[in-house]
Amino acid sequence: MASADKLINTDVPEKDVFAFHFLQSLSNLRKQNPFDTPDQKNYRVRKIKKAAYVSMARAAGGSSRLWSRALLRRAAKDDNKIVRFSRRKRKVTWKISSKRRRSNQRAPVVEEAAERLRNLVPGGGGMETSKLMEETAHYIKCLSMQVKVMQCLVDGLHYNKN
Amino acid sequence: MDLTQGFGARSGVVGPVTGLESLNFSDEFRHLVATMPPENTGGSFTALLEMPVTQAMELLHFTDSSSSQARTVTGDIAPTTLHPFGALTFPSNSLLLDRAARFSVIATEQNGNISGETANSLQSNSGANLDRVKAEPAETDSMVENQNQNYSSGKRKEREKKVKSSTKKTKSSVESDKLPYVHVRARRGQATDNHSLAERARREKINARMKLLQELVPGCDKIQGTALVLDEIINHVQSLQRQVEMLSMRLAAVNPRVDFNLDSILASENGSLMDGSFNGESYHQLQQWPFDGYHQPEWGREEDHHQANFSMGSATLHPNQVKMEL
Repeated sequence: MASADKLINTDVPEKDVFAFHFLQSLSNLRKQNPFDTPDQKNYRVRKIKKAAYVSMARAAGGSSRLWSRALLRRAAKDDNKIVRFSRRKRKVTWKISSKRRRSNQRAPVVEEAAERLRNLVPGGGGMETSKLMEETAHYIKCLSMQVKVMQCLVDGLHYNKN
Repeated sequence: MDLTQGFGARSGVVGPVTGLESLNFSDEFRHLVATMPPENTGGSFTALLEMPVTQAMELLHFTDSSSSQARTVTGDIAPTTLHPFGALTFPSNSLLLDRAARFSVIATEQNGNISGETANSLQSNSGANLDRVKAEPAETDSMVENQNQNYSSGKRKEREKKVKSSTKKTKSSVESDKLPYVHVRARRGQATDNHSLAERARREKINARMKLLQELVPGCDKIQGTALVLDEIINHVQSLQRQVEMLSMRLAAVNPRVDFNLDSILASENGSLMDGSFNGESYHQLQQWPFDGYHQPEWGREEDHHQANFSMGSATLHPNQVKMEL
């Protein structure tokens, strides 16, 4: 996929990278819960969903993207057995609050949309608006890739079942 | 007069030089004090205190880049008040200029300048553009080079302001993120002070990225107006996340019937699905990206074929079909 902008790098690996990571995580899940939990289906759904996100974050570039790092860190906080996330010293990125005195000129339309985006995109809380938009672009690409992989998987399984 | 009294009250010592050394004075003052004749302490101290204070205040409040004005100010003041000092004027001037420069740099919010740099630039009359405390019309007339440190990415922005800005503005505005410097030209009829330039550069950055996002999200290029585009982008992200959730629910429903045990699959069907075309591509791609380190590349390749192939011995049609879908 040729990105028209060479300056902002939003390249994303191919589908099979995502497929590989996702299947790996699923097989790990499988190993950990050999007897499928007869209790709530929600538990398994949540696990699979989390596995999907984590594998997506890994496939999309591990620690080299802000959102993937934040996602992995969030996942590692909850459950330390499944996710292996090594803590690395990362550069501190901070929002410039010293420019606040011109805040009325910051296009309030953009800023409120940026607020909503920050809630959606993992790790968005510490980013400036322009950086946030870069991360959103990459995030959207990775999400759509992950959705395609999962769709293929579900379809394939469904076909196989019948 | 008042100053001496206040000074005396503060220090508790009037007259002898040595008593003053016990106070916490800066090195420059101590140097100046030491070289002063002792009988001139009272009067000369006021002069000493007045001159540097006013000079420092001037320099602090002085936003004009050209230090020629500063120089003239000091030039005016220096000979008159520091007359008794004679040879001491220059060292004190440069030292105080230095300190004032450093203070003024610290006082500015956008502190990208190194103090030595500023001092050098002040002294070399190239002008360091401090942040605006007092807007002076003389500001816009001078040619300034400003280095602001970009906070998050560490880039350095260098902007050029044009002399006689209203007449010489160019129509084109150019921004390049490739170089470490961002050159922003003033458009015709737009303000060229520092903040507007920064704002404009930032807005252009944001607009560039928004265009990128617009291309990504389907159906966004037809929409006019940034607000709706942003809403569309947010909706798209939300819908993608919901799709992930839906698919994971479906997978969870399907999951118990399926054995995801890839080790046994790969052990048993090791060489049966080696095709030329698809394998070649995926293998190359798999080779390229950095591995986590706990699986071999071959497994990755074969997993793609095994996506739909979990029950052993299914037809060979499956891998082909999955290949085509992928």
